[in-house]
Amino acid sequence: MSIDVKHLAKLARLRIEDDKLAKFEKDMESIVAMVEQLPEVSGDASGLDPEHPMKLREDVEGTTEALGTDKLTRSELLANAPKMQAGCVVVPKTVE
Amino acid sequence: MELYEYSAHELSKMLSEKKCSSEELTKSVLDRAAATDEKVGAYLTVCAEEALKKAREVDEKRAKETLHPLAGIPIGIKDNISTKGLLTTCASKMLYNYVPPFDAFVMKKVNAADMVVTGKLNMDEFAMGSSTENSYFKKTHNPHNLDCVPGGSSGGSAAAVAAGSAVISLGSDTGGSIRMPASYCGVVGLKPTYGSVSRYGLVAFASSLDQIGPFGRNVTDTAMLYGVICGHDNMDATSADREYPDFTALLNSDVKGLKIGIPEEYYGDGVDNSVKETVMNAVKELEKQGAQIVNISLPSTGYALNAYYIISSAEASSNLARFDGVKYGYRTENYDSLIDMYEKTRSEGFGDEVKRRIMLGTFVLSSGFFDAYYKKAKLVAIEIVKEFNAAFEKCDVIATPATPATAFKLGENIGDPTKMYAADICTVTVNIAGLPAISVPCGRVNNMPVGLQFIGRKFSEQTLLNAALAVENNYGEAKPVNV
Amino acid sequence: MEYETIVGLEVHAELNTKTKIYCNCKNAFGLEVNTQICPICTGMPGTLPTLNEKVVEYAVKMGHATNCSINNVCKQDRKNYFYPDLPKAYQISQADIPLCENGYVEIMMNGEEKRIGITRIHIEEDAGKMLHNDAFQGSLVDFNRCGVPLIEIVSEPDMRSSAEAKAYLDTLKSILQYIDISDCKMQEGSIRCDVNVSVRPKGSTEFGKRVEMKNVNSFSGAMRAIDYEANRQIEALERGEEIYQETRRWDDQKGMNILLRSKEDAQDYRYFPEPDLTTIYMPLERVEELKNSLPELPNAKIKRYVKELGLSQVDAELIAENLPRCRLFDECIKLGGCTAKNVSNWVLADVSKYMNETGKDIADSNLTAEKLVKIITLIESGKISNNSGKIIFEEIIQNNADIDKVIEEKGLVQISDDSAIEKLVNEVMAANQKSVDDYRGGKTNALGFLVGQCMKASKGQANPAKCKELVLKYLNG
Repeated sequence: MSIDVKHLAKLARLRIEDDKLAKFEKDMESIVAMVEQLPEVSGDASGLDPEHPMKLREDVEGTTEALGTDKLTRSELLANAPKMQAGCVVVPKTVE
Repeated sequence: MELYEYSAHELSKMLSEKKCSSEELTKSVLDRAAATDEKVGAYLTVCAEEALKKAREVDEKRAKETLHPLAGIPIGIKDNISTKGLLTTCASKMLYNYVPPFDAFVMKKVNAADMVVTGKLNMDEFAMGSSTENSYFKKTHNPHNLDCVPGGSSGGSAAAVAAGSAVISLGSDTGGSIRMPASYCGVVGLKPTYGSVSRYGLVAFASSLDQIGPFGRNVTDTAMLYGVICGHDNMDATSADREYPDFTALLNSDVKGLKIGIPEEYYGDGVDNSVKETVMNAVKELEKQGAQIVNISLPSTGYALNAYYIISSAEASSNLARFDGVKYGYRTENYDSLIDMYEKTRSEGFGDEVKRRIMLGTFVLSSGFFDAYYKKAKLVAIEIVKEFNAAFEKCDVIATPATPATAFKLGENIGDPTKMYAADICTVTVNIAGLPAISVPCGRVNNMPVGLQFIGRKFSEQTLLNAALAVENNYGEAKPVNV
Repeated sequence: MEYETIVGLEVHAELNTKTKIYCNCKNAFGLEVNTQICPICTGMPGTLPTLNEKVVEYAVKMGHATNCSINNVCKQDRKNYFYPDLPKAYQISQADIPLCENGYVEIMMNGEEKRIGITRIHIEEDAGKMLHNDAFQGSLVDFNRCGVPLIEIVSEPDMRSSAEAKAYLDTLKSILQYIDISDCKMQEGSIRCDVNVSVRPKGSTEFGKRVEMKNVNSFSGAMRAIDYEANRQIEALERGEEIYQETRRWDDQKGMNILLRSKEDAQDYRYFPEPDLTTIYMPLERVEELKNSLPELPNAKIKRYVKELGLSQVDAELIAENLPRCRLFDECIKLGGCTAKNVSNWVLADVSKYMNETGKDIADSNLTAEKLVKIITLIESGKISNNSGKIIFEEIIQNNADIDKVIEEKGLVQISDDSAIEKLVNEVMAANQKSVDDYRGGKTNALGFLVGQCMKASKGQANPAKCKELVLKYLNG
């Protein structure tokens, strides 16, 4: 099966340089050829398991101790951001 | 004998009897790391000062109160586990400068037990790989043979423990990333039941498969560390709400009546003959000691690797989408638009293996392919669970080789992704079924360690630890390797 | 050719829970940028979501209120796309199994009921906000809104005009307010909608190509957007052009839309089950409990007001459309002692005027149902005049005054005693003989003047109806 690496890269916000494209295509094709060998099994794949439902969180603010979350300031939380201004993360101009 | 050479359970006793201090011990381990890591390359970050400071604090605290058995014992942490204030890079350029503002659940447990963190350990980038060659920063070498890989993705965690540059360590296992390097490096590695250790703070690779687990040079150390990190966490919706026993106190190497299942599918063509033989010899020793061997079948095993790569890559493609240069980590230098910034950041920040998996995951989830790949893989996963359930009607544990061969040479598989993927063939089923499994050394082939893998029912870690202890008693505890 | 407009709406309503949907950050609007955030809602590596139980309950309530069937076993899925206001680069939402589906609401169009189908209602998280400033090169991201709980209510393409769409939106809004799960503050963006519009020749049963419009921020904006888009499509068809399935962006200021994405660029969201969350399960007893906990909904109220209380359809709708108004009305009716019609008049006139002028909820004022009923009862029994009632109302609002004291201090007791008024009338007639003669000579408009003079002479305390009756009696006598 031929794999449209450029299309996949676009969806995944990756850019594959032209000199690497052939190698990626070859790799992707052999990987897909490997993984696509699967038996025909029918059934429900949704994985729903009402016998073991998820425990939901109580709608209570600030139970930080119980939830194990740390109270963090804005500057601590955004300390890793590459670019900041006026308490906000900065990105290239967007329109939508 | 140097302090770093002792096991955690020996050191626990020595510390409580004041035969040594945590500061001396930590210094010994740090010195060992300084002496060996140039060759082994297990550490990405060594935090010597912080470790010694913590060790001194624990020594002072010990004078006043009774501490946790692992208090004061140095531990190394895989670099995909969030450590507050300490670089957590996932061995990726993408997170080369990322310092988490919070601790992972397991780090809270480790800190509460007063363990001493010596540093962060190398791995395959974002835990994707079977050799630790995919690290952006450095390659880790197998202490048993520096030309060989330590396995992956938790290669640094296994190599550090094997070399004595860590007494114990934490790794993570998505498809074999604890058991395979444990096997290659001749140490014990436990992949716990899915849900028994909180994933909060573990940088996600494949959320439905990831699990944090312990490494030790022996079963007792591994059991002690597992006892620290397991437990319910209401921050992780997939965390099991249950109580856990004192695994160390209940360790028992008596295998009389233990039914050991041998699945023919794990002893097939893909597995090296001498590895098979070594593993079977170890099982036969247990039979002599009163265990029963039962032949079982797990017919879908042949499809497991395919299902694994589909499911894990699908989840990874989504989990790794957040690395976009906006909030943390790497951002490309020059860009002229948002899309340009995204694409350059992600192309420059991720290595090729990560890109392949992201693209595979994107492909199997994309419009028109979902049913043929992702849905089918999920159905195969359901089959695998059913087959394990049926097998555990007949046996208590399943014994298999942990890896199809011993550690391969650096660079040997790097050009061929599918060949590299095949190294996970013995381990992926366990993650798919959410089961616990342990790899314990059971001899050598060509002077390289071989790991025996025991797979158990959900939450049967005690049974696995006990069976592994029986093997260990026959082969001896591992000691730090001369590097 | 005559065309028919087909409208379907996707309404996003923010839920008024205390905390966000997947973390326990405060769910609040308008606070300083990036202060209501934590590692979870900013998508820090290694963080995990936990689902807020109230979000599930609120969505199930909305499902019941819109006659949906409830999928009490369901799950969440990831919708993958890149945008700076979406920190995880996926939105946790619901794909193939929504919490609620196959329902409907009834809207009133020109006095007739029309049923609008609800395809589904699902739960999901809101994204952050992008801040733009022309003086600044880039855009800024505020993550405060990330993880605010949303329900998305998807309608069937059952609306045939912008007016129907408006009626549908108003109905949804009042339901959301009645069951108290959303603040419905348009200006804060707590209800937003995407509009799907297509047109077809009248009489045709096939649907035309559907155009989706984003960035519709108000109900009136939705009407303008629908009318504009329907016209655009009709004009294109008239020119012999084809309509393409595409996404367009509505610009309310310019009153027009522009192409955002063509079908070829349609995003591939790569939905798959959220592995960090497991099965959502609500026991059927709880599902029923929530159904029984619903208050009387707007449509039922309107019907009751018309049928049982004899209000006009218009008045009934006006009262029911506003929750504080209809709470006050219902309380007054429950207290009893005065006619529904008069309560309705007071609620729609003086009370509404007060609420509109001050922007305040009546519940936060000094006026209570008891006080209002007392005023109306006093008027109905003739003890005070309508005008005096208004004076008392003002006194209550301004000074929280005691009704009896106001009547006494301001001398508002109305003179209804026949003999007293008759005496007064006789005096006034005598003093205005010219007007009496005018009236008797055929100039009937002199009546108003004479009654007015009587009222004046009584310092406004005479019962006007009685006054008029007795003046007429005098003139015709």
